[in-house]
Amino acid sequence: MLVQALIKPNTYFDSVSLMSLSTKANQIEEVEQAIIAMGTEMNKEVMKNVGLMTPEVETAGASDLIIVVKATTDELCETAFERINELFTKKNSGKKGKNDIKYSTISSAAGSNPEANLAIIAVNGAYAAREAKKALENDLHVMMFSDNVSVEDEIELKKLAHEKGLLMMGPDCGTAIIGNTALCFANAVRKGNIGIVGASGTGSQEVSVRIHEFGYGISQLIGTGGRDLKEEVGGIMMLDGIQALEDDEETKVIVVVSKPPAPSVEEKVLAKIKTCKKPVVVWFIGGNEEKITEAGAHFAKMSKEAALKAVLLAGADESKLNKRALNIPLIEEVRTKLTPEQKYIRGLFSGGTLADEAMHAAMEKFDNVYSNIQRNPEYRLKDRYTSQDHTFIDFGDDEYTQGKPHPMIDPSTRLERFIQEAKDPSVGVIVMDFVIGYGAHEDPVGAFLPAIIEAKQQAEQEGRHLEIIGYVLGTELDPQDYEEQINKLLAAEVTHASSMQNAGLLAREFVVKGE
Amino acid sequence: MINAISGDSDFIKEMNNSLFTGFVHSTFNRTLNIKCFESGDLFTIACRKLDNGPNTLIVNVDNMKSGKIEVNDRVRVVKNLLFIGDKLTISMDQINEWEGVLPSYPSNEEILKRNVKKMKDYINLHGVGGGMKKKIITENPFEAEVSNMLEKRTYFLMNELVANRISSALPHAVSLVGLGPGLTPSGDDFLTGLFTILNMKNSPLYPNKKLICEEVLRKAKTLTNDISYMTLKKAAIGKVRESLITLLNSLLIEDDEDLILSLNKLLNIGSSSGTDIAYGIVFGMEATIRAGGKVC
Amino acid sequence: MSRISDLFKSRPHVINVGIESFKDDLLQQGSEVIHLEWTPPGRGNPALIAALDKFENPAILEKIEEANKLAVERIINSQPVLIGYDQAINCVPGMTKTTILHAGPPITWDKMNGPMKGAVTGAIVFEGLAKDVEEAAKLAASGEITFSPCHEHNCVGSMAGVTSASMFMHIVENKTYGNIAYTNLSEQLAKILRMGANDQSVIDRLIWMRDVFGPILRDAMRLNPNGIDLRLMLAQALHMGDECHNRNVAGTTLLIQALTPYILETDYTIQQKKEVFEFVASSDYFSGPTWMAMAKCALDAAHGIENSTVVTTMARNGVEFGIRVSGMPGNTWFTGPAQKVIGPMFAGYKPEDSGLDIGDSAITETYGFGGFAMATAPAIVALVGGTPDDAIGYTTKMKEITTTENPNVTIPVLDFAGLPTGIDVRKVIQTGIMPVINTAIAHKDAGIGMIGAGITYPPVEAFEKAMLALSENIQ
Repeated sequence: MLVQALIKPNTYFDSVSLMSLSTKANQIEEVEQAIIAMGTEMNKEVMKNVGLMTPEVETAGASDLIIVVKATTDELCETAFERINELFTKKNSGKKGKNDIKYSTISSAAGSNPEANLAIIAVNGAYAAREAKKALENDLHVMMFSDNVSVEDEIELKKLAHEKGLLMMGPDCGTAIIGNTALCFANAVRKGNIGIVGASGTGSQEVSVRIHEFGYGISQLIGTGGRDLKEEVGGIMMLDGIQALEDDEETKVIVVVSKPPAPSVEEKVLAKIKTCKKPVVVWFIGGNEEKITEAGAHFAKMSKEAALKAVLLAGADESKLNKRALNIPLIEEVRTKLTPEQKYIRGLFSGGTLADEAMHAAMEKFDNVYSNIQRNPEYRLKDRYTSQDHTFIDFGDDEYTQGKPHPMIDPSTRLERFIQEAKDPSVGVIVMDFVIGYGAHEDPVGAFLPAIIEAKQQAEQEGRHLEIIGYVLGTELDPQDYEEQINKLLAAEVTHASSMQNAGLLAREFVVKGE
Repeated sequence: MINAISGDSDFIKEMNNSLFTGFVHSTFNRTLNIKCFESGDLFTIACRKLDNGPNTLIVNVDNMKSGKIEVNDRVRVVKNLLFIGDKLTISMDQINEWEGVLPSYPSNEEILKRNVKKMKDYINLHGVGGGMKKKIITENPFEAEVSNMLEKRTYFLMNELVANRISSALPHAVSLVGLGPGLTPSGDDFLTGLFTILNMKNSPLYPNKKLICEEVLRKAKTLTNDISYMTLKKAAIGKVRESLITLLNSLLIEDDEDLILSLNKLLNIGSSSGTDIAYGIVFGMEATIRAGGKVC
Repeated sequence: MSRISDLFKSRPHVINVGIESFKDDLLQQGSEVIHLEWTPPGRGNPALIAALDKFENPAILEKIEEANKLAVERIINSQPVLIGYDQAINCVPGMTKTTILHAGPPITWDKMNGPMKGAVTGAIVFEGLAKDVEEAAKLAASGEITFSPCHEHNCVGSMAGVTSASMFMHIVENKTYGNIAYTNLSEQLAKILRMGANDQSVIDRLIWMRDVFGPILRDAMRLNPNGIDLRLMLAQALHMGDECHNRNVAGTTLLIQALTPYILETDYTIQQKKEVFEFVASSDYFSGPTWMAMAKCALDAAHGIENSTVVTTMARNGVEFGIRVSGMPGNTWFTGPAQKVIGPMFAGYKPEDSGLDIGDSAITETYGFGGFAMATAPAIVALVGGTPDDAIGYTTKMKEITTTENPNVTIPVLDFAGLPTGIDVRKVIQTGIMPVINTAIAHKDAGIGMIGAGITYPPVEAFEKAMLALSENIQ
């Protein structure tokens, strides 16, 4: 006897219809047994108990409809599913939307849907440039999530887009908000009058959620992809992005987010900003203040500062903002808990810019700061599996993902490293980000919770205090439950930082000795 | 444009006080659900044959399917009008506010005890099988196992509840969430009934209700689907549909005809949902009566 | 920058390529999303991607587009007309008394599958070259018989496609371009030579067809000075619910209706004419071969156009599936292994009894009907295992790999859209979508015949080889 399952994601039928479908399904000749039910944990347990579990059923969620069929042969199962599908489609007919028409190429999809205006390209890098080119040729704006695209292809695509007056966001662009719609990895934030152009995805995300927290909103968030401000690409998308926001009526203030650009590109970008009629806040992570202010832009050293300057320029009343200053008594308290040997920060990050920001905060006070994203090769991590003094790791970097999904989706690699760091008696504080929002893991804190609790207990048995700082990047509008994520951290006695900036500063201050 | 006949006062407040926007989450023959962007909660638009309920607006049509409304259609409220895409506009000019208030637990339980007994006999006879009520002939092992598990788990739950061991009762209550066929799984419907009783003021179990309801609810979020979760969430604070409240009122007075009438209305909900809720009510009443130290 | 401000002012209407969860997130936000059924072009083969890229070079692209435009114009403008019937030896180019034509790309006797061997030996017995099938098999193996593909003689052959000297052929003339195509007569369905059956009943039927049926049709058409416009009749049959490959109810009625007055006028006996009408009525398939010849006639006119990537032949010999492409002139075949046909079987037969895909009948799909016109034949969706919606889906999907629509032959249910016309090798490689073929299933052993019907697809290898050859050829 064979058991096979079919999952219909997010499918709701009222109970009466479900019962009648179930009855009809059981009347199908080929079927030994057919079961139609919602894929809740408990129902899955029932399936297991009666021997009807399959790997597909295992993966179903509580809002998915599961159809399980038991029949004598593969063919009969197949036929049974076809018949059952017929029952569903009969029920559904006349309800078919545009989503049901299948297209295989961008040209055919765009040809039949003239209202389409943007393509998201998230395929293997080897094919991505071809698809992006097709999209641009069909007058679609492009958001290219794919990486591993050659610089030559990137330049060609961006030039083509520039000529056609289209956005070419990426390659390796993970974050954008267009027309109040989050694309790929982005947070649900209020609509407002601050526009962001960012070469770094999590950096842009961080600024957008801080602006949201200050009570302001985002007009557009344009991603450029990480390489846009390199010498070869020359900031084509960044320049077009600034121009687009300058032209956009709804945008009153512009925020530019990037790692420090190549000098020639920095010059171009600052020249552009100089002529821009709208106020521009520039956050080049670890960038040079003098040149930026010279260009007439507003310099921000850190993320929250960038958001704060932006909302003030947008008209906020500073006295009414909750700026969430650092908790000085807390710093004193943690310092007393740590032994002299517990002197290092270990930063384990899923967001690259978040790692960068925390690292730069530490570098202001310490020299021995190591990382896989250190620009100075002397301070690059020698062995990616072993930490060295103060260590900050971006787990989204290729060398850590190794073909696995991004750590914002798959926490496993970072989780292993956390367990390792928690055992190290020279560690004073572990700092971690938990990113929610569209695209991200449904419960990032929950994935770490058992390990955090165990590590804390273990440390206590060994007679030392294990200090952990957690920061949840998200808003209360995100599909995940923001409050719940924070509450989980608090329940595990993790120090909750209200922003990435604060997380970086707190980590640094906790391990400063003898001040 | 169609008119809303009546609506839950909380829903009306929500629409008046804030910017209410959302999208169509799911559609059925006689109802459609809207997911609100701001709160993430589900709200229901139901046609006129259905009863009032939490987060529900009753509108003056017989069928929801005719308007070509599709999942993901945008919803927004402007002043007194609710727009679903450009397909349906609902006016709230002539709306009657409905507020569901549960009756208090009676100081004299004699009538209640008798009525609970009658109700139990009636649903054993007339209830719809497949969930809490075992079918005499089950169609498949899934159904049989669901009924067995429901029976076992409610039995354990009762033992712990009457002994007032709330913390050991909780896992049994949680193990009911999402269990069973149907859009609202039988276990959820049962808990809805139980939550309702726990929320009756002056009931012996009332002091425990916050602990029980909140803990079950916290776990329920991932254990069941959005629609069923929303019903539980509301029931946890004593917000339940009108037919349920009517039944509770009937249980407190001595009028057999009235009781049977109310009961029939409840049993007509969903496929086996009404029956499963009814079992939850009987269970809750029995637990309350026994926990009160006056053995039934 | 106006395109960017347009975007900012509206909401994103997204075409999502790749990670599907992005689609779900967008739907959750209430955005419009089209998720592509995307697969890596050329199955990720770098040589094929390079070929696709090469063809996008503007200078080359222009040449190909122009050539393909010409190719489909010739397919669409072709006006095939049935002008008569005659024995193969009298009309088919290159035919001899010891020649046997077969379906699909070239194949030798030792490699032929069961049904084709059955048909070959049956034909040898029928021609009187051997006294029984055993002796016929020896003769076939001896090298005395010339085997050649139908397609290389302006012919097509249904199923095994076995065609010998004295069999009667349809003669179809292309009134637009002058070329002629041939195919033999339907033996009607089930236990027949083309399905591999070869017992005495089969031979007896072939003899009657040679001595009575064929001559009556020949003489009837001699009385018809204008011939029968097959394109017009095909269009009518499609409007009446045929897809003209697996369903021929309407087409057969139309065809025999057109032939009847002339049959009546011939000098044969009433009894003989009655036999003819009864034979035609015994199966709907009578017009099946007619449509094949019609398609062949149009497609031959589009073959051999320099730089064209349009497919002009799809044919199977039961072992290999072969295609020919317009831009690779003459008898250049690109082949891959023949596939299984999936579909309902006659009672008593199991899927493992089926022979592999066989026959020249995929010429109908090459023209744009058959599986490509499933949308117009809802009556037989059960045969191909689906719903009317699926049937429409098959047809719309074929638009993804074809060049244009044929305005002369239309499908009412799709708002009178024309047949998807001109399969483009580039598009097949780009999308990974294979042409869908409706076909019959023959038993894998010789001598049994048809045991079911269903759908199948060509092997991707045939198209990949064609793509690489075209890439070398087009400069």
